Amino acid sequence: MHRLLGMLTMVGAAVLLLEVSPGAARGGPPPASTTAAEQNLAIIVNQANAVDDISLKELRMVFLGERSHWPNGRRITLVMMDPGLAERKAVLRDICRMNENEFSRHFLQGLFTGEVFVSPKTLSSATGVRKFVFNVPGAIGYVRASDVDATVKVIRVNGHGVDDPDYPLRIEARASK
Amino acid sequence: MKSRTFLPIGSFLAHAGQSVGNRVLLLALGILMSAPCLRAQGATSAAGADQQTIQMLLQRIERLEARVAQLEGTHTEAARSETVNPIAPATHPPTGPAAGPATAPQTTAQVPAPEQEMEHLEPERMDLSKTLLRMRGFGDITFHGTDQRGSTNSFSLGQLNLFVTSDISEKFKFLGEIVFESGPDNFYNVPGGRRNEFAVDVERYLLQYSYNDYFNLAAGRYHTAIGFYNTAYHHSTWFQTTTGRPLLFQFEDSGGILPIHNVGLSASGRIPSGPLGLHYVAEIGNGRASRNPLNEEPVQNEVDENNYKAFNLALFARPESIRGLQVGFSGYHDKLMPMGQPRVDESILAAHAVYMAPKFEWLNEVVLVRHSPEGTSAVFNTPAFYTQIAKRFGSYQPYFRYQYINGSDREPIFPDVGRIEGPSVGLRYDASESVALKLQYDYNLERHQPASNALSVQLGFTF
Repeated sequence: MHRLLGMLTMVGAAVLLLEVSPGAARGGPPPASTTAAEQNLAIIVNQANAVDDISLKELRMVFLGERSHWPNGRRITLVMMDPGLAERKAVLRDICRMNENEFSRHFLQGLFTGEVFVSPKTLSSATGVRKFVFNVPGAIGYVRASDVDATVKVIRVNGHGVDDPDYPLRIEARASK
Repeated sequence: MKSRTFLPIGSFLAHAGQSVGNRVLLLALGILMSAPCLRAQGATSAAGADQQTIQMLLQRIERLEARVAQLEGTHTEAARSETVNPIAPATHPPTGPAAGPATAPQTTAQVPAPEQEMEHLEPERMDLSKTLLRMRGFGDITFHGTDQRGSTNSFSLGQLNLFVTSDISEKFKFLGEIVFESGPDNFYNVPGGRRNEFAVDVERYLLQYSYNDYFNLAAGRYHTAIGFYNTAYHHSTWFQTTTGRPLLFQFEDSGGILPIHNVGLSASGRIPSGPLGLHYVAEIGNGRASRNPLNEEPVQNEVDENNYKAFNLALFARPESIRGLQVGFSGYHDKLMPMGQPRVDESILAAHAVYMAPKFEWLNEVVLVRHSPEGTSAVFNTPAFYTQIAKRFGSYQPYFRYQYINGSDREPIFPDVGRIEGPSVGLRYDASESVALKLQYDYNLERHQPASNALSVQLGFTF
């Protein structure tokens, strides 16, 4: 028995090391260059939100439901776009680092355990996302940089504005509309 | 306010298609033509009602005329600025957030008609004033057999679990788990209830209050935060990789050794700790009944058998540097009052280290249940652990689990448990994102019992 458990421990440790090693990390950093600012994905919040900048790590926690409140105590309401849209694909790839099934299951399990307080709202268009974010003070969502207007506030990611060359969130050209 | 007035018009425009202005005009004409007919009908029936209808229609015509004029204006403006398509649909009126981007007006090529239609349907899904009751179901059907004497190969209906949540307000939420299950309960190795009969259990019943990330409070019936498994999978077999819970975390009514459920208060949240990702759970509740008399419900839903309250404190870390890793421990304490015996002091210490990633999982938990009857020097320790490892290859997920429990034959609360250990090996196949087929083999070694082999095939699903 002890030998069996010892072997199991070694196998588990080896697989764990492979899983968490940087080379094995899925959804690595996005490509360094982009063809146009329109391909960047803007993270938008309500105009009343005091947050101006967010790190990619924090953004991931927000998009995975692991952070449920803004620093001012207001509840975060996450707005996602419909499955299949290029913007959502970019969020799943670059922020959540999950595929569609994994993301759905993650939220279902989070709601089931009670750790995720509220599930994301799903909207089908940039206009809908902007309207929602405009109306809900704790909302956070995303649209193409070209779909941003004055009704919402764009926050910086890792200190980079959406037009910066080093901005980390981009929509794949082939998936864009 | 502007967007509110926009919505019904928007819905109307969705049906109008591309030539919005023309359709509106046609509709206005139709209404104008129908007005005399209505007037004629009214002459033969109720004159008062007619007047009212006519007034209503006239007002509506006025509104439509104004709207047509507005749309024509917008349309002309858009036609001037757009060169892509001269018969482009009118853009939305510039009303608040519903307006197109201020800096980059959308062209026809950028805004296809289907997207516009979808936009107009969205307000139905955005109503924040409703208290939404959401329901999700989980179930499983299993075929199992064992070479233990007296057992038969059987199909079994597993728990039919209705998971219910409702956002009561921004800070309050309800969470419930209503489970329909067949088969007799098993308290202290004594079956209770009728075989093959369904019964209903409210397994979780919680009003949750979320103040911020650092403080959440829940009141009601919850799963005790002992270790990891108990609060990760609850009553859903579909979520679990294997066909069932480890023996260590069996439910009370299936002969389990832990107070899986508790009724009381539970506080939880993050602890400011930077990349360490520390969390806490502090619970106080009725605790488990001492299961003596044997046929009583072990979870004290309504009345506690004593004034002493069970408490549990759990701390765990989720380091940012290794996502999916969780390491923690918990301490639980209660006093049990078995009938005709001295009061028993119960302490449960648990530790866990788990790694859960989409394609790999490795769960390790160890628990020590300590019972000490008051007025005696006797102490009964029941150590238990399990380790489980699984790796996903596409839709297939082979897994292995080894589990162990060692209870004394003279244990005052669960003398029937004894020593059980053995490996399980299985394969999970996800036939779809909501249906999983599992095949599992178990080999069990029990004290005073011959070794047994068991095989089970399970269909777990969510709906």
